[in-house]
Amino acid sequence: MIHFDNVTKVYANQNRPALDHVSVEVDKGEFVFLVGPSGSGKSTFLRLILKEERPNSGAIHVAGKDLARLSNFKVPHLRRRIGCVFQDFRLLPNKNVYENVAFALEVIGKPRRFIRKVVPEVVELVGLEGKAHRMPDELSGGEQQRVAMARAFVNRPMILLADEPTGNIDPATSIGIMKVLDRINRTGTTVVMATHDAAIVDSMRKRVVELEDGKIVRDQSRGVYGQAY
Amino acid sequence: MRANFIFSEVWIGLRRNLTMTIAVIVTVAIGMALLGIGLMVNSQVSKMRGFWSDKVEVSAFLCKKNDPLPSCKGSKGVTEQARADLQTRIQGMAQVESVEFENSATAYENFRKTYGENDVLVKAIQVEDMPESFRVKVKNPEEYGTVIDELQSVPGISMVVDERELLDGFFDLMEKIRGFALMIAGFLVLAVILLIGNTVRLSAYNRRRETGIMRLVGASNLYIQLPFVMEGVIAGLLGGVVSAVLLIVTKVFLFDSMNINLAAGTQLTWNDLAQVILGTMVIGVIICILASFVTLRRYLRV
Repeated sequence: MIHFDNVTKVYANQNRPALDHVSVEVDKGEFVFLVGPSGSGKSTFLRLILKEERPNSGAIHVAGKDLARLSNFKVPHLRRRIGCVFQDFRLLPNKNVYENVAFALEVIGKPRRFIRKVVPEVVELVGLEGKAHRMPDELSGGEQQRVAMARAFVNRPMILLADEPTGNIDPATSIGIMKVLDRINRTGTTVVMATHDAAIVDSMRKRVVELEDGKIVRDQSRGVYGQAY
Repeated sequence: MRANFIFSEVWIGLRRNLTMTIAVIVTVAIGMALLGIGLMVNSQVSKMRGFWSDKVEVSAFLCKKNDPLPSCKGSKGVTEQARADLQTRIQGMAQVESVEFENSATAYENFRKTYGENDVLVKAIQVEDMPESFRVKVKNPEEYGTVIDELQSVPGISMVVDERELLDGFFDLMEKIRGFALMIAGFLVLAVILLIGNTVRLSAYNRRRETGIMRLVGASNLYIQLPFVMEGVIAGLLGGVVSAVLLIVTKVFLFDSMNINLAAGTQLTWNDLAQVILGTMVIGVIICILASFVTLRRYLRV
């Protein structure tokens, strides 16, 4: 599903590469934690998958497509197959829950009838039934993140990228968020989650890829956050 | 394509940027109105040139008895016989197409028609005061100079008047008006481009959340950019409508009243005006689209 082959990314005006000869393979339906200190290259990894950045060398395949050969014209179609969730939710403050989720379908030109059918389903899937007409500022942080997840998942992407989704949320609420991510993963969606949250990684027992200074220092199935010495 | 989605986005954008939108509309309106006036003057001038070109003549006035002009010194007036001789002589010139004689009575009649309202002037001048003249038509407009030179040296002719010179003053004025209108229109087009650039930049900044999410969920470039371009187009169209009104007013109050005094049959028709309005609107909208696109490339990463 996601295949990195010897990928190096150096940002302009920086000597140290953000990713340094990274090779990794993520299969369809996998759940992968991406861990490592700030600046270790986690966000760069996610941005490369979205083709928001281009690697300086190496090849990236996402959903069977070679990103280097993907024309700019087709990048939107790639992104339609990838959902994204962020630490800061990125909801539209002037739209309610339903409208925020529907927006993702409206802007890719889905017919209204389809939107009316699928949005309530997804809102229910993330556990926000009955709150479809709340505005984002009437919701808790955890609920806002659920809206963001509904928006990321409403188009049934093959891959869900989550960049520190629990970063702004207290531990108790984070468990609920992880349950939703797990539910999404069980539908066959590949999930890649970058995180600092050791408790969550340890409790989930999923594959862990650890980055440090742009290099993969650990790739462990059913791993924990910190290496046990 | 969800048209109502695009239009609701456009409407939100226009409302958020109301002052800038009004500035764009006003500037487009004035700029396009001046451009339109330039075009109207243009077609007016060419119509008048067409109208006058086959009517313009050289008038050769004959000496009267005791004529004070130096070319007639000692003249006792031109006799019937001399007049007939002159006519054959002018007719004989290779460049001349036709010659007509206008006697004092006809000249007086024409004079009274032109200055009929001015009683004092009409009363002060008698039929005998009006000079007799030949109206000479030249085959080729470029040969007017030679004919005029030749006529001037003929004894018995007091003065040669080239009617084209009278019209040239008018046409010069019209061309100056046109040049001035087009120059200011040019400056305003520049202002429109900069204003739209600014509006789009503000708009893109106001909607950076929306466009960011659109990019993320895979909206196509067209979907992301169209609302911004449509804002420019709508502002341009509204400006075009205002400029159309300005142009209609200009036609009715300026061009139509001017024509009554100058020449019937060279009236700028509504059809001409419609063409001018259509042309200015198309130009206005194209400028708005181009300006939007160029700024979008800079301020909206897709």
